[in-house]
Amino acid sequence: MKKVLTLLLIGALLNGCSSSDNDPNDPSDDFDRAAMLANWADNIIVPALQQYVEELGSLRAAVTDFNGAPTVNSLQTLRTEWLDAYMVWQQVSMFEIGRAETITLRNFTNIYPADAQQIDENIAQGEYNLTLPSTNDEQGFPALDYLINGIAGDDAAIVQALDNDNHKTYLNDLITRMVDMATEVRNDWTSGYRDTFVNNSGSMATSAVNKLVNDFIFYYEKALRAGKIGIPAGVFSTAPLSDRVEALYHGDASKALFLEALNASQNFFNGKHFGSATTGESLSSYLTYLNTIKDGEDLAGLINNQFDASRTSAANLMDNLSQQVITNNARMLETYDQLQMNVVLMKVDMFQALNIQVDFVDADGD
Amino acid sequence: MRISKIKVWTWAMLGLVALSSCDNDDDSTNPSIEAPATYSFTREGQSTVSFSGQTARIQMATELINEMKDFDNATLEVLLEMFRNETANGGDANPFESADLNASTKSVRGKTAASRDFFSTNATEGAEIKQDFEDWIAAQISEVFPNENVAAAAGTAGQIADGSSTRYVSAKGLEYNQAVNKGLIGALMLDQMLNHYLGVAVLDEATNRADNDNETVADGKTYTTMEHKWDEAFGYLFGNSANPANPVSEIGNEDAFLNKYLGSVEDDADFSGIAQEVFDAFKLGRAAIVAKAYDVRDQQAAILREAMSTVIAVRAVYYLQQGKNGLEQNPPAYGAAFHDLSEGFGFIYSLRFTRQSQTGAPYFNKSEVDGFINDLIGSTNGFWDLTPAMLDQISNSIAAKFDFTVAQAGS
Repeated sequence: MKKVLTLLLIGALLNGCSSSDNDPNDPSDDFDRAAMLANWADNIIVPALQQYVEELGSLRAAVTDFNGAPTVNSLQTLRTEWLDAYMVWQQVSMFEIGRAETITLRNFTNIYPADAQQIDENIAQGEYNLTLPSTNDEQGFPALDYLINGIAGDDAAIVQALDNDNHKTYLNDLITRMVDMATEVRNDWTSGYRDTFVNNSGSMATSAVNKLVNDFIFYYEKALRAGKIGIPAGVFSTAPLSDRVEALYHGDASKALFLEALNASQNFFNGKHFGSATTGESLSSYLTYLNTIKDGEDLAGLINNQFDASRTSAANLMDNLSQQVITNNARMLETYDQLQMNVVLMKVDMFQALNIQVDFVDADGD
Repeated sequence: MRISKIKVWTWAMLGLVALSSCDNDDDSTNPSIEAPATYSFTREGQSTVSFSGQTARIQMATELINEMKDFDNATLEVLLEMFRNETANGGDANPFESADLNASTKSVRGKTAASRDFFSTNATEGAEIKQDFEDWIAAQISEVFPNENVAAAAGTAGQIADGSSTRYVSAKGLEYNQAVNKGLIGALMLDQMLNHYLGVAVLDEATNRADNDNETVADGKTYTTMEHKWDEAFGYLFGNSANPANPVSEIGNEDAFLNKYLGSVEDDADFSGIAQEVFDAFKLGRAAIVAKAYDVRDQQAAILREAMSTVIAVRAVYYLQQGKNGLEQNPPAYGAAFHDLSEGFGFIYSLRFTRQSQTGAPYFNKSEVDGFINDLIGSTNGFWDLTPAMLDQISNSIAAKFDFTVAQAGS
């Protein structure tokens, strides 16, 4: 996946759009973009990052405990902490902006499937540089998944496989890197970037609203719709790929992680505060505002209905999406179709309503 | 206009034929020639279509570009053997995975910058071009491979992220494997097609016309030599197709070279229909040879020259514009940009092998292409130093010679 800004001659676009009847540059669009940005930053992004850093701290403690005394018990605790942090990650992943974009946080945190063979080699040789892009599938949650869930057949065997200096060092290096990256991103938000973000409240292609909405839809389309459902279901290949699910080695977590990501996406759309039922200014309220001044259709309602329909469809899925692909892939494809319908509503209709241009294109595959 | 026997054509004459023929643009030039629905031609119940040598070279080139990325196994020796299909001492080499390719006596290098029309009296440049490819191959081993696990930076070869993919670039940001891949599209496939097999010097060589008029087949073959020459041009585009008789629906999926990028251009709404146009011209030209209607044949060659040259130019501009978009991101997406620019580099290199149907000259001569290449990568740190303005400048220079705009090609 690559993200390329399609600067379609901004001048031409501005001219071309001047006849549009839902142009937010229209003087009647007084929606408070800065208030929306502040809601995103203060009530969603930064609290989610804070929580994520905290969860990673617990995960690091569990790794330390396990390395100090590798037992089935400490392995199970480690596994619980891993999944807790992985769930919170689903609420952070979509915000690939600012420092997260610079360091490509998502690519170094959650590229799956992990390259198990290369991980084994890294551990055996004790030589690796996890900052290199080629190592993005040798680290993060998927690498931990392999080590604590997949490296051997049962818990006792896993403990035995991990009970040596090289494996312990790799575990420690993985969590250290995750903590370092998350902390760096969080600290950037809390030490200046928050204001940069909120103050960049214009409507140009480089404005914070336009950028983050693009990041959001890129995430929804590539990481959520394709990564979690479409790719394993074989939508992009000749045959289904049951081993491409998230948390492959854990087995029963892939649906839960997907649902968490789906909820997080809908919550962001509705401006719902992290960990609370309160809502603030959001894409949903922006669309509703434009609707009331333009007398258009209730796009926010349609998008929320489609989020709900996706969730309803996913209720039919097994906890283990890999197993679902193998036993009844049609169900996966149904969920994919529901997810895809919201790509159309958001990427086409919502972008048009907000007068935002898509700033990425699909790579041509080589 | 019907000419039964002509030994020597001048380019000027050819131009006149093309011009006068093109006046009849309602396709009524020769109602007696009807192209078949598929690229299938038979004589006494047996197929007369053959392009196995082209298929072999496409497959050899495919193995070569894949091997260039195999950090664990590739060596300079093996890569050069794949390019030359012989050992350093000129002996028989078996560098390929495919036994058929190892058994073949063909090679990629032998037909690189080797067309009759452009290089038969220009062996000096032909040798330079062959050397360019060997230099890129050697540099992949000597510069890039040792830095496999080094982060690339201005002046430092190494790896760089392109989204979730990893690319391996030179100190100037160039992926040598892309230079070889996209460079061969021009220097091998396009050059052989447009400037060799579709040229009258080859089609009408020696007794080809008389033999074709008399349906005298080549020794031990079902086809006349002229028929075969035309098929060989066809083979550089469709030689790796699963169903070459009817290949348009799968255009773009059959190789990593001309077929793929004709498919890419076809997928751009501004150019849709070009794949069918190309296929139809190949079919009608081949039918014209069967019908001994050489003016129709040469009209189709002219159509192919213009269309296939356009494909190269569109992709060159497309990648320059994509590279520009990457550089203009904040922060600049260097990895994505350099990948696009590396592909663009290869397509620009390939412009030298394009062919204007009227004049017989390439759309851009050697010095013009050298100028573009120098603008792209001639500075100290190459792609790292590039500006969006420079990429627009080159894009505009290329598009100006064709019937498309930078905006049409760039998206």
